[in-house]
Formats: sequence, structure tokens, C-alpha cells
Amino acid sequence: MIVSPRLLISAGLVALFVAIPLIYIFIRAAGANPEDWQRLLQTRIWKLLGNTLLLTLSVTTGALITGVSMAWFTERTDLPARKIFRWLLAMPLAIPAYIGAIVHLAMLRPRGGYVPQFLANLFGQEIFTPSPFGFWGATFILTFFMYPYVYLLSAAAFRSLHASLEEAARTLGRNPLQTLFQVTLPALRPGLTAGALLVALDILAEYGTVALLRYETFSSAIFIQLSGRYDRSSASVLSGILVGLAILFLWSELRLQGQARFTQVESNWRPASLFNLGKWKIPSLFIVLGVVSISLLIPAIVLLIWSIQALLDPETLIKIFHTGSQGFGSYIWNSLWSSGLAALIAVTLSIPVALLAVRYPNRLSQIISRICQVGYAIPGVVIALSLVLLVNRFLPFLYGTPLIVVMAYVLRHMPQAVRSSESALKQLSPTLEEASRTLGRTSIQTMFQVTLPLILPGLLAGGSLVFLTSLKELPATLLLRPAGFDTLAVRVWAWATDGFYVQAAPAAFVLIFISALPLYFLLRREQIFR
Amino acid sequence: MTTLQVKNLSKKFHGSEFSAVNNISFELQNDEILALVGPSGCGKTTTLRLIAGLERPDSGSILLNGETVASQSVFIPPEKRGIGMVFQDHALFPHLTVFDNVAFGLRGKNQNDIRSIVGEMLHMVGLLSFSKRYPHELSGGERQRVALARALAPQPVLVLMDEPFSSLDADLRTEVREHVRRILKTIQATVVFVTHDQDEALYMGDRLAVLQKGQLEQIGNPQEIFHESNTRFVAEFMGDSDFLKGKVMRDGIQTEIGLIKQQVDLPLSTQVEIALRPDDIDFHIDGSGNSLIIERFFRGPFNLYRLRLDSGQILHAFTEHTRILPVGARVQAHVNTDHSLNIFSS
Repeated sequence: MIVSPRLLISAGLVALFVAIPLIYIFIRAAGANPEDWQRLLQTRIWKLLGNTLLLTLSVTTGALITGVSMAWFTERTDLPARKIFRWLLAMPLAIPAYIGAIVHLAMLRPRGGYVPQFLANLFGQEIFTPSPFGFWGATFILTFFMYPYVYLLSAAAFRSLHASLEEAARTLGRNPLQTLFQVTLPALRPGLTAGALLVALDILAEYGTVALLRYETFSSAIFIQLSGRYDRSSASVLSGILVGLAILFLWSELRLQGQARFTQVESNWRPASLFNLGKWKIPSLFIVLGVVSISLLIPAIVLLIWSIQALLDPETLIKIFHTGSQGFGSYIWNSLWSSGLAALIAVTLSIPVALLAVRYPNRLSQIISRICQVGYAIPGVVIALSLVLLVNRFLPFLYGTPLIVVMAYVLRHMPQAVRSSESALKQLSPTLEEASRTLGRTSIQTMFQVTLPLILPGLLAGGSLVFLTSLKELPATLLLRPAGFDTLAVRVWAWATDGFYVQAAPAAFVLIFISALPLYFLLRREQIFR
Repeated sequence: MTTLQVKNLSKKFHGSEFSAVNNISFELQNDEILALVGPSGCGKTTTLRLIAGLERPDSGSILLNGETVASQSVFIPPEKRGIGMVFQDHALFPHLTVFDNVAFGLRGKNQNDIRSIVGEMLHMVGLLSFSKRYPHELSGGERQRVALARALAPQPVLVLMDEPFSSLDADLRTEVREHVRRILKTIQATVVFVTHDQDEALYMGDRLAVLQKGQLEQIGNPQEIFHESNTRFVAEFMGDSDFLKGKVMRDGIQTEIGLIKQQVDLPLSTQVEIALRPDDIDFHIDGSGNSLIIERFFRGPFNLYRLRLDSGQILHAFTEHTRILPVGARVQAHVNTDHSLNIFSS
């Protein structure tokens, strides 16, 4: 088909819109005061770089081990209640890591935490418990709230892998465990590496958890520069380095995405035989149950208990429903409309980009598609900094409106929309569009009457994903929101960091509940849940 | 009347070394079915897409009913060409019923007309009772017929068919193509039909155009293409020929299996190759014969024998299905045909 200039121009404009905040950060970083560079290089940067990379490495490793082993249990063994565990292992995606951190902090705090208190009462003296603060605490929390990404990817890969591959290994003299390590896992490697890089990008961007657990990374340092010290020059320098690092990760991930996967579903696919756990059945069950407890059951139960406490206590109840002039309903409404609008805009903008990249694959369209995925590499704090600077200078009327928050969501989560739209389009045969043209429709009519109706489920999935991640977004919302614009995430954070856990619980509970709905829709589309 | 004129058409894809279509010209008369045939990658589908307006030619022009639809200066988009197309994968809209699929090209007509045209089309392809169904509820053959009905409904000046039967099972294919040809002939459609299958081309085409590497090797009626192949490629592609070396003599061509009495317009002693098809060769058991039976394939209605001449040259020969001779037997092979053979100077 012949590419229409209209399509090329719209996709190019979208790429430009996405690229400007990124380029602007680099310009500001390069143009920052040389003294700031000097000072930061001598004092902060190496420490932050070490901290950030160490955490990224530890959490990525932890999430890989947890995610792959959980996927192996539910897809490749005769573990009881696998169907239920699949859901339980994926559902933590609805819980923002900072809410998980709040709950576990309340549980494990050295003084006053539920677990140390319980142990002290039990034994009549203080018993040593590991501290949830610092590097190990952050690794623990982030591992258990990031592994579901890896779990879903590897479960799908285990599922789609050809049974004959493993059977061939068995006939060539490998036992089931050798087969797993010598054949199955190496076959899944490209997909898993790509998944691990996405987790790593999320860690680079993570603010709430590391701030709460007092572990300093680039993201939390930039946040402090922006919110406390108003030092935009230093923030720009740190942001430039952080984004440079993230771009490196994203670039590797895009390269892996571009390569052909080892695994694919073929028409004569049949499921592999299940590994018989035998006497390991009960220990395995405890391991899986342990992961589900830490990442889902404990947070859910604790939040439920707190919420009930809050609702039963009239004083707390009044604070929840009337903070200043705002009420609980307005937090929900603000969360819903800002995330919903971001999802709508991101999906709409992704359409021309996906059409160009999928229907007219060449160098230029590939570059445009990749630029539109750069949001993965711009952490929320950096988006916030870039937008503050850009909007102040060029679009001052936007400053101080909630629209700037929506814009941050769109920029940050656009890649998810682009990927969903692209994969939906790839599954649609171009002959359908060509048939429509030969039956008298113009390219625009074809788009509205044939293409869009048919890729609608894919677009909705992309929209749900943007909605879900925007709902959970914390640092950009905190930095960009105009006074009085409170979302559920903002309220949970504000109350919890002030120590009012019980007061924060209902908002956290509602936030998780609203997230669970689009997540349920998304998971239903996954092969392993059919 | 001439419906389609293709003049010096060329198209090269970006990043490809060779032209997909290289200087192709042909014409198509009203009511005629032209089969474009050739191996995969020969440019037949690209030619079709250029005619449909789904690709833009690098050079050359395309005229429909005398009006230029594509040239250096003109490019009419596909939706304005009035061409019907049947796609290889049928390309039925999965979100529309059979009725709405067929009605898709009839926009702008009033509801009564649409209903009667769609009804007529579905009746013609024998699917009137299926109009409320969705494409995924149909079998391969039924989908194929809906795709045809949809392409024919707007009464296109020209119908293009891109390997329309290739997604069907072998036994269904024969049945569907008979049905489709009957329909096309009944409504006197003008058709360009693309296939890689020589049998299908011979069956469907009033005329055949054989393409190779983007070039038009030969165009003509099926008998001409088969018996008077212009090039070695056409003889090889149409009917699985073997090529036997020979030398031009005064009274025919001298070959390893004897003198073939056929006059050619070539100087004496010219080295030539004769295209021989399995039905041109006959043989009988002869202990001092010129060849050996290597293999026999029982093909149902006939036996196909593979013979090796003493020079190593392989020939294929048909015999009736009851005549079974042992592998390894020495036989005398000879040419036995009542038509002239295709001869190429080597």
C-alpha cells in the first residue's frame, strides 16, 4: 500500500511531542551551571549511581528468580490449585509498590511494628527482626511487587513452548531438571531478558518505596532537589544522568524486542507434560503461598482491617471525608478522570504511530515508533522536572492546572499504548484494509469502518494499561499537581508519610480496587487465564 | 472491446535488487479471463496490485476502458477505480455478517436496491441462507464464495483474483473453481486471475500469461502456451518437460532415442533441446533397448515411469494404469506424438 502523507505527518508530530521533554532535559543538563556539575560529581553522583545500580540489579535478579520459579510451579508442575494461584500471583500488579511498602513497614518497623511487638509479647523480651529500611528492605519490597511482570511473561512463554522441544531433550538423555536448565530456560531467554529490562526501568523510576524506606537513588534525590530545595539546576544534572542510564536499558530492550523470539505458538501446539512434584508438593505449596501472602494477602488483609478501624472511628472518619474543602469522593473522581483522560489521549496518539510502523515498516517508521516508546526511560520525577521547565517557559497557562498532570501520564505511559496498538494491528491482515479500498472506501473511511472496529479490543487493552499505571503514578503527580488537586495516590502517600496509616487505608483500598478492574480485563486476555 | 491495457509496466521495491515487475505489457478484452501464472516471486501478484491501485508503478501505464488510471502523472486511488478484488485469504470483514460484507461495496444505493443486489449475489454463489452468519461461522469454500460475491456486487469493470483457491483443500479446490468459472462466465465478467498452479491456470484462463522474474515470457491461449512454448522456461513450467539434446539434420532432429521427424527453421548441425512431456514418450521391453526403468509411480489413472538413457538423461513417460513393468527392466523408448514438439536451440 502507498503511505499517505497525512499519516506520516501525524505520526511524526506524535513522536515530536514525546521527544521534546526528553531532549529538553538533556539540553538543561548540558547547559547547567558547570559548578553544579563539579560539585555533584565530587559529592553525590557516584554514590547515587552505585545505590541505584545496586538496587536495580538486586531487584531485577530477585524478580526474575521469583517470577520464573512461580511460573514454573503454575505452568509445569502438578501443584494443587494452580488455576487460583495464577490469579493470586498476578493480582499484586494492582497494588502500587509504595502501598506494599507502607503495609510491610507497619508490620516490621523496629519499634512499634506489629511483628516485633508480637514477638516481644510472646517471649517477654525484644527479639531481633530484620529492619525493613535501607537496601535490603527496598530489595525485599520491590522484588515482591515487581515479580508479577516476570511471572506473566514467563508463564506465557512456558505455555507457548512446544512440548516436542522438551520431549526431544528427554529422548536425548536429559532428565526433567536438566531439560529445564539446558533447554527450556535458554529457549525463554530473549523474552525474559526483555522483561527483566522493563523491570529494571521501573526500578530506575521508582520513587515512593525508596523514599519511604530511606534508600537514596537518583529518583528520590531528584525529588528532594525539586520539592525541598527548588534547585532545578542540580535536578537537571541528576536527571540527565538518570535518563542516559535508562535510555541504555531501553535501547537494549528494544533491540531484543526486534529480534525474532525463540518461542512461538504453532498450529500443532500441545501442552507439555507436567512435572510430578511428589514429596515436594507440600513444601512447594508453602513457597508459593509465602509469595502470595507477602505480595497480596498480607497487604490486602491489613488494609482491610485498617479500613474497618477507620470507618468505626468517628474522628478518623471525619478526617477522611473532609480534608480542607475536599472530600473522599473528589479524590476518587480526580484519580478516575485524570487517568482516564490520559488513557484516551495516549491510545488516540498511538494509532497513527502504530499504523505507520506496522503497515509501512521501514527505517523511518521504526525510528518514529521507537521514539514514542521513550517514555519507559523517563522516570516520573524527570517528566515532572521537564514539564515544569517547559510549561513555565512556553505554555504558562497550563501551569497550575491538572492538565499538566495528565500530560505527564500521557508522556510516561505512551509506550504501553503504542505497543498494544502495534500488536493489535499486527494481528489484523492488511488485505482487509485493501479489500475495503477496492470496495470504494478512502483510506480515512477504511480506518474508521474497518481498522478501528477490528483493533478495538487491543486499543482497550492499551487504554486499560495506561489507566492502571496512571492511577498508581506517584512522583510526577506529587510534583506537578496544582494545590488542592488530590488523587487517591496523593492522599494515601500524604497520610501514610505523616504516620496516619489507618486514615490512609480506605483510600489505598479503593485505589487497589479500582486498579483491579482493568487488571482483571487485561489478565482475561492472557493465554494462561483462558 | 478492450477493458484493460497495461503498457510497459515496471515496479521495483525499495531495498530490492531486482524489479518485481519489469516492463510488462498486455491487453485484456471484455468478457475475457486472463490467468497470470508463474512461480512464486515472478511478479504476478505485484502486477495485480498495480492494476488494483494498491501499489504505485515506477513507470508505464494502466488504462481501464481507455481511461488512464496509473501513469507517471496520473494515479487514481483504488477506491475510485471500480475494480473488484478477491484476496488470497478472502479478507472477509470479521465484524460484519455475510450480508454486510457483500453490501460493503454498495454504499450510496438505496436500501431496497442493496437488499436485492446482495440477495441476487448470494443466490448466485449458493449462500442465500447464510446471509446472517459471520465469516468465522463459514467453511473455507463458503468464505471463498462470499469473497467472490462481495467483489462482484458493485458490478466492477474488472475483477482481480489473487490465488483465490490456494487456501482451500485440494479436493474442494477443483469443485470450487468449476463453480467460480461458471459464475464468472455467466455474468460475463472480465477477470485477471493470478495463480502459481499450471493446472489451475489452464483450467481458468481463456488466455494465459506466463511470468518469470518480473518479465512476461509468453501470452496466449492455453493450447498455444502448452504446445508452442516460446521459451524453455514456459515449456518447463507448463507441463513438467524433460529436455533432450539433439542435432538438426536434413530430415529431422537426431537424438539419443532416434530421429524425430520435425522440420525446424535452424541451420543444419545446430545443437538443440527438445521439450518432451510424459505423454510424448512411449516405450516397450527390449533387452537391447536405449534406456532403463528407474522408478514407477502409480498415479491412479495412469503409471508414471522414470527412464534413464545410457547418457544419464532422465525422461518421464505415462502408460495406462494396468501396464506394470518391473523396475530395472531395459526398454526401448521413442517419441510417439501427433503434435509438433517445442524445440529450443541450446
